[in-house]
Amino acid sequence: MSLLQLDQATIRFGGLVAVNSVSFTINKGDLFGLIGPNGAGKTTCFNLITGVYKPTSGEIRFDGRNITGTPANRIARLGIARTFQNIRLFKALSVLENVVVGGFLRHRTTLGSALGYFPSAIKETEELKHEAMELLKILNLDQVANVRSADLSYGMQRRLEIARAMATKPQLLLLDEPAAGMNPFEKEELNGMVKKIRDEHGMTVLLIEHDMRFVMSLCERIVVLDHGEEIAQGPPSAIRNDPKVIAAYLGEAV
Amino acid sequence: MFWIKRLLSIILAVAGCYAVDRIATGSLDSYGQRLIILAGLYVTLAVSLNLINGITGQFSIGHAAFYQVGAYLTGYLSVTFYAKSSLQGIPWLVAMVLAGGVFAAIAGLVVGLPSLRLRGDYLAIVTLGFGEIIRILVQNNAKLGGSYGLNVAPKFQSIWLVLLLAVVCIAVCRNLLKTAHGLPFLSVREDEVASLAMGVNVTKVKVSAFIIGSAFAGAAGALLAHYEGFITPQTFRMDVSFIILTMVVLGGTGSITGSALAAVFLSYLPEYLRGLKAAGGGPLTVSGAGVIAALLATAFAVALIKRIMDAGLGSPTRRGLTYLGILVGGIVAQFVLSMGLSAIKPLAAAQIEAGQLRMVIFAVTLIVLMLLRPQGVFAHHEFSWDFVKRLFGAKNVKTTEIAA
Amino acid sequence: MHLAHQLVAGLDFPTLPQQLVNGLLLGAIYALIALGYTMVYGVLRLINFAHGEVYMLGAYVALFASYFLGFNPQAATTPVSTAFNLLVMLAASMTVCAIVGVLIERFAYRPMRRNSRIASLITAIGVSLLLQYGGALFLPNSPPPSISEKVNPYSQSKFTVTLVPPSPAAVEKAAKARPEFEKLQKEFDAYLARTGESRFDLSPAGKELRQRTQDAEKTYGDAQRAVESGGIRLIIQAGQLIIFVTTLILMGLLTFLVLKTKQGRAMRAVSHDFDSAALMGVNVNSIITFTFILGSALAGAGSMMNATFLGTPLTTFYGLQPGIKAFVAAVLGGIGNIPGAVVGGLLMGVAETLVVWAGYSPYRDAIAFVILIVVLLFKPGGLLGSDKVEKV
Repeated sequence: MSLLQLDQATIRFGGLVAVNSVSFTINKGDLFGLIGPNGAGKTTCFNLITGVYKPTSGEIRFDGRNITGTPANRIARLGIARTFQNIRLFKALSVLENVVVGGFLRHRTTLGSALGYFPSAIKETEELKHEAMELLKILNLDQVANVRSADLSYGMQRRLEIARAMATKPQLLLLDEPAAGMNPFEKEELNGMVKKIRDEHGMTVLLIEHDMRFVMSLCERIVVLDHGEEIAQGPPSAIRNDPKVIAAYLGEAV
Repeated sequence: MFWIKRLLSIILAVAGCYAVDRIATGSLDSYGQRLIILAGLYVTLAVSLNLINGITGQFSIGHAAFYQVGAYLTGYLSVTFYAKSSLQGIPWLVAMVLAGGVFAAIAGLVVGLPSLRLRGDYLAIVTLGFGEIIRILVQNNAKLGGSYGLNVAPKFQSIWLVLLLAVVCIAVCRNLLKTAHGLPFLSVREDEVASLAMGVNVTKVKVSAFIIGSAFAGAAGALLAHYEGFITPQTFRMDVSFIILTMVVLGGTGSITGSALAAVFLSYLPEYLRGLKAAGGGPLTVSGAGVIAALLATAFAVALIKRIMDAGLGSPTRRGLTYLGILVGGIVAQFVLSMGLSAIKPLAAAQIEAGQLRMVIFAVTLIVLMLLRPQGVFAHHEFSWDFVKRLFGAKNVKTTEIAA
Repeated sequence: MHLAHQLVAGLDFPTLPQQLVNGLLLGAIYALIALGYTMVYGVLRLINFAHGEVYMLGAYVALFASYFLGFNPQAATTPVSTAFNLLVMLAASMTVCAIVGVLIERFAYRPMRRNSRIASLITAIGVSLLLQYGGALFLPNSPPPSISEKVNPYSQSKFTVTLVPPSPAAVEKAAKARPEFEKLQKEFDAYLARTGESRFDLSPAGKELRQRTQDAEKTYGDAQRAVESGGIRLIIQAGQLIIFVTTLILMGLLTFLVLKTKQGRAMRAVSHDFDSAALMGVNVNSIITFTFILGSALAGAGSMMNATFLGTPLTTFYGLQPGIKAFVAAVLGGIGNIPGAVVGGLLMGVAETLVVWAGYSPYRDAIAFVILIVVLLFKPGGLLGSDKVEKV
């Protein structure tokens, strides 16, 4: 069943066409990869899907509904969450607090009840903290719950971003180069974690990655971009041997 | 059970403020009482500005505008309607405080809306601009007294209400940060794009901050108008906004405790200076040479301290001792320079009263803070035992109230 | 429409051209100050709050320079002034302002470069307050001194440009009334000589003659005034013209500097991208110092001319209003854009003058803020600038 559909999505920045008429469909439960050489427009695609940019033309549909041009925070509410290529944590906040911000999306109490410190707000805060801790446990960050997020190691920061995104209880989770800067052991761990996220938490995952082996071993379907255009789509086995893909990464075959 | 506890704490707070009021009116002269009122009002102003600047990371430097809106509109209401009103005495004042808050909140909404499209320094200038527009509008409005000022009657010299307002302001901000609702405000300060991605309604957060912050400033304005009995546009000029800003900066952007303490300290400082007496009984004066020497000595000391800070060599203790040494050296340097500069006759002759140095001290405080410790004394920490623990190096200690 | 009609009906159109000229003149000074704001913002992305105070200091330097040249109010005699004096004052103002600007940059702004923009802005506010209130401790503030009129050798000369001559009918009337009056006057004098009567004790016949003479004088006087106020003419003081011309020369020099010289190219590089410029071998620090020198010197020139030719009384808070208005001018023209600052300055001057002309003088200062808010909300890039997008 189709969860996310890009239909000829295009975005132009002045004279530069960063994403040109890209179309692909992600089904519920997919582990989907978005790859391509640097500057291919992958993060720009993420920005289009999450509402940071509005497409110049084309449509984006999520769970049957047209989300083209919807503001970013509304899209998060609808069920799409993301991590960032250049980690964007709330630096002054602790690990736990970062995750609670994500969880806050589903809050029900009013601001007034918080200002008055009413029982409803207090209870909800406890619940959010509890849920956040559960998520931290899943991502092995519960030991550092009270540490300032800026003080974490790089790998832990990446995991924290994932925890925070998961806290919004999304249907679709977008991971932007989650394995960047990790050593092979950490990548193994991450691989297992992403699978677990899909299997046990029911989230569909779309990820951007540069590490071929990581993508091929994790993703069930892949779309390849080059210079803003989609050049191949399909399962890893098809992509691996696609001459266009090889050419895009390595240059023309001799 | 909760409501009983809550009611008790409210009664306790009111009783506490009232008790301080009685003690103050009993033991202090009108000058001392005025100091407490000023301190109380500035605490409300600083903490409310801190909500907008420090906690939500917006840049509002025209806070005096909301103070003014509250003061003038409630002053006008009192002058026009008090005599015929069924509410008299303290209930009327409370009504005015609420009204001041509402008027200022509306102004806050208007000023906050541009914040949605403007960043940092541009937003700052726009907030200043709004402040000046309000001041000029008032200045040219005959019904509000124009540049001659507005006489507000009846006067209410209640200390306890001023203190209670400050307590409520601090409590509300504290409550916000104790619940999960406070986190979106902080996250907007930290990273707007990431906040949006997490579903935070950044617009609502920013506007809320402006509305709540300005409402408290307006409420304080109502109290000021009725305490002084006379307000003019000069009472709310740009410099007042800068003074409140200095308090927030000194206390630490994001720290409620810091803003409150800095407000008390900086509101008391000018009065303290003005009260300094020389040996002969007149106001204490400093020679022009002395002032320039002090400025130069401060400049050198700050430059040295900053150099060492940036280099970051040596242990914190060693650096701390070095700073101390530089401070002592600075005082010595001031003496020496002062004597040297006294050779220039006009400088030695120019006698400056301690009270006149007030704004210069504020300005120097701002500059030195920005150069050496822009996050302020308390940074974004509140006073708690955890803060003390962290000063001594403990690491796994909570930053805000939300902790496992 | 009714309100607009009322508004328009109250306006005094014949004085409009004169007001426009006055506005352009005021705008020229704003432009000089605005250039400083825009250049500094261009290279540092900093709003130099203290720029208005540099402007203020320039005026005081001009004041003290005038004292030094002998135009001290306490002096027994004042020398006759020449253009040389003006040049000395101009040079002094520009030099001292440049030095002050460099000192501020070096000690208050440079250490803040790695901090957030807000922190730099707060520092700038601090410097501004320090100069205002610190200056108030040492500089003459009340009563506000002003530069002696005698310094300006051209204070008496003015140029009159006639745009629309008075109506021929009025001229004719005046032309006819004059000989009439002169004839009667001669008649009256002859009568007095003939009869030997005193001017103050006349016979009925004498009184009647005097009355007719006075009526003729009145007719002539009225006709003369009608000619003078009829038509539209511009009166430009020599001082005003000097300000204009000097401003044009300074801007021409600046444009040449920025477009044709190596320093200018480097300035433009730094304003595009700090780090890239540094990588290309540009000594970023010296370019920034250079920018401050230029901007501050121009402000000094502006205040010297304002204080000397327009005789404005000086206080240490004298830079506040012009500073803010010039900043708005820079934003209006597109902050970071040099021609924009000039255009913005002129527009601000004209806008302010028109507000006063339309009868809303108390709101003249508010108009600047209104323009600022409107521009920032609807076209933050200003008239000549561009609106940029933040990349995620």
